[in-house]
Amino acid sequence: MNKFSVDLTNCDKEPIHIPGKVQSHGFLIAVEQSTYNISYISENALFFLKSAPEDLLEKSVSIINKFINPQAIEFDIEDLLKLGIVRKSFDAISPYPIKIGDKPFYLIISSSQNEWLLEFEPLTLQYDIQSLIGRAASAMLQGKTVTALLQGAALEVKKLINYDRIMIYKFLDGGHGEVVAEEKEPDLEPFFGLHYPASDIPQQARELYKLNLTRLIADVNKEDSPIITFKENQPLDLTNGSLRAVSPIHIQYLKNMGVHSSFSISLISQGELWGLIACHNYSPKFIDYKAREGSKLIGQILSSALEYRQDEENSEIVTQFKNTANILTAHLNRDKYLADALTDHDVNILDVTTATGAVLIFENEIRTIGAVPTNDEINELAEWLKSSSDESIFYTHRLSEIFSPAKRYKNIASGILACSLSKELNEMIIWFKPEQIATVNWAGNPDKETLKPTADGLLSLSPRKSFEIWSQVVNNTSQKWLPEEIASVLRIREIIISNVNKKANEIRLLNEKLQNAYEELDTFSYTISHDLRTPLTSIKTYAELILRNKSIDESAKKMLGRILTGADKMNFLIKEILNLARVGRSDIHFENVDMQSLLNEVIAEVSAAYKMDKAELVLGQLIDLKGDRTMLVQVFTNLITNGVKYSSKVDKPKIEISAYIDGDETIYRVKDNGMGIDNRYYNRVFELFKRMDNAKDIEGTGVGLAIVKRVMERHNGRVWFESELNIGSTFYLAFKNK
Amino acid sequence: MKTTDIFYVEDDSDYAFFMQSAVQEVKDSLNLTIVEDGMEALAKLKSFADSKTKPKLILLDLNLPGLSGLDLLKFIRDIPYLKTIPVILFSTSDNPDDVKASIEFGANAYLTKPDGYDNLLKCVHSVHDFWFSQHLRLN
Repeated sequence: MNKFSVDLTNCDKEPIHIPGKVQSHGFLIAVEQSTYNISYISENALFFLKSAPEDLLEKSVSIINKFINPQAIEFDIEDLLKLGIVRKSFDAISPYPIKIGDKPFYLIISSSQNEWLLEFEPLTLQYDIQSLIGRAASAMLQGKTVTALLQGAALEVKKLINYDRIMIYKFLDGGHGEVVAEEKEPDLEPFFGLHYPASDIPQQARELYKLNLTRLIADVNKEDSPIITFKENQPLDLTNGSLRAVSPIHIQYLKNMGVHSSFSISLISQGELWGLIACHNYSPKFIDYKAREGSKLIGQILSSALEYRQDEENSEIVTQFKNTANILTAHLNRDKYLADALTDHDVNILDVTTATGAVLIFENEIRTIGAVPTNDEINELAEWLKSSSDESIFYTHRLSEIFSPAKRYKNIASGILACSLSKELNEMIIWFKPEQIATVNWAGNPDKETLKPTADGLLSLSPRKSFEIWSQVVNNTSQKWLPEEIASVLRIREIIISNVNKKANEIRLLNEKLQNAYEELDTFSYTISHDLRTPLTSIKTYAELILRNKSIDESAKKMLGRILTGADKMNFLIKEILNLARVGRSDIHFENVDMQSLLNEVIAEVSAAYKMDKAELVLGQLIDLKGDRTMLVQVFTNLITNGVKYSSKVDKPKIEISAYIDGDETIYRVKDNGMGIDNRYYNRVFELFKRMDNAKDIEGTGVGLAIVKRVMERHNGRVWFESELNIGSTFYLAFKNK
Repeated sequence: MKTTDIFYVEDDSDYAFFMQSAVQEVKDSLNLTIVEDGMEALAKLKSFADSKTKPKLILLDLNLPGLSGLDLLKFIRDIPYLKTIPVILFSTSDNPDDVKASIEFGANAYLTKPDGYDNLLKCVHSVHDFWFSQHLRLN
């Protein structure tokens, strides 16, 4: 006999398959396979056989033949066992109807390690249950959904065994159970929706449920009968038996619930215990073996139907997710902007999962759909995700437990599924699920009950003494993320990333094309300007040649003069465009430039071209530059020319040029006291061919400042100006000191 | 046949016309021979060498179809009979690289084509004064 002393601290280790006792509604004889001798017998055999059980131990099994009145033919137990051995199974033999005295019994044979278990239990059913089972099964299978299927199964089992309450438990993550369907007598308090802690059905019990699919506890108040044997320290394994006695903990548990008889049927899905059909009766009620077998069949049918229906429902979800992915792909291909494609349509990223909110963080923009935290909270969360996870996918259904700021918005986002689009830019999509189960009704406190000292100082077992519903608020938890949802997110991530890459490629190609077009334009400007000059020169020259002819009259001379003026203007413009094109085309040669000599040169040239008799040119501090001398000449020629031109109308024109160092830049300043530039046109001053309204009567092409800007760009420098109408303008050139 | 005073290679017939006018206006007696492309120029240069009649001055347009002004210059400098003739490269280009290359190839001068007839006339005057009057005096 096993010496294990069980209490609440160790009931998960109790060896319940070798209880050393049987339930006393029937009796057990175990036969050693090697000798056909009786090696174990339950004490209550005395009650049934009216013979001292210890006298039968170590006797050949055929000794029991004399107690049994076969119904038809001569009964020989040894023949029956040999038949089972030949068939390699006792399934077709059990239950074997016999009579002991005048009472009908079933003999049920199963195997243990070295023994055969012969269990005798009363036959109570007076009618054939077979047809009832068939009808029950087909009625149950009418249920189209998993829920309907379960409800149908509960109803059919209730009809079959006629217990007061039939519940279907489903095991959830972490081993907790939930009552997902219930059929009961109307006066009973409903248990539907209750949750049971994992400790209610310990691990080893679950293993037994997987091996032996039904379990009857006929009467919790009937004392068990011990098994006697001569074998020392070799307890009999009753895993396959149906009379196996029940753990005292479980008996107490049932008693506390007011249950007298309990019956359970295992539901197995994909090799795992999916749940149980748990049946309670509030008075002792034995279930005939055949009714139990019928219930077992219902359970097996339900198991496979569940698997099928669950697969069906899952595949429906998967199909839906795949459709979403297809639609989003189409949006991505059609829409110009990724964020629009993913969030602006009826089908959007929210449909990628069963979440209630989603946010897309992309290109420094936050797009939200459904119930989401505030933007600040989203940003904070995104930062945390970046720093805490390197994976492309991160998910939790208890966010606030790992990220405490999320407590503030747990009603929106207790569950998050984040999918990174770009680590560097911290671009991502996050899906949110709200705190799902605000309250769970526990059938008993899932936390271990304290052991209360009893009057005699011993610790007594007191599990679930009062079977009240414990209502516990389960905080910070959302519905779990399904594997289908994660697969769906991974699928959509793949689609988005390949789309982003495709667009990036397109932009790169576009950029290359633009670059080429730009270069072509420069070449074009250069060539066309160059080619235009030759015929223009011809026009001018012919006009001059004709003018030399003494015979032409005054009006013809005037017209020829107009031709010459036009040709000169055009020639000047072409030269300027050539200069501009050259800045873009020519390689830049960096050298140390002596600014004193450069400016003297420029001033000499400008003086030669424009009347500067009244203008004052002041050179302040000059700082030598590193740059392309030819281009710098162009820059200063243009700026000084402008200064001279646009101050030609004031009394004392003054143009000042000076340089200073500001941080890592050398700044040149060209200041005049001319007519100034209207600040409304600030952004357009450097545009090609752009001339200000107030400069209409001053000659110019609108190319000069475009050249200045282009040269500064090629020097990685900056140009800007300050100006006031009729006060003057100051242009600044900033060169990097390398 | 009169001997050639100035040999001018110019593919632009307009400019050739202007030059003709300008030269005549500067000195009517000067004999200007103009050819329009490099191959024709080569043939003419060979005939100068063969007939031992050399022009006093050669003007070469830089950009010519086929053989360029620089190619012709090189050819001239390679023929002993012709190599002492002063050669002026005459082009619309004011690109320093062109100027540099011309001088390196042995041009005596590089002139940017003047803009307009009046300027051309001035230019031809200077050229004439320098390369004929002064030159002759030096000789």
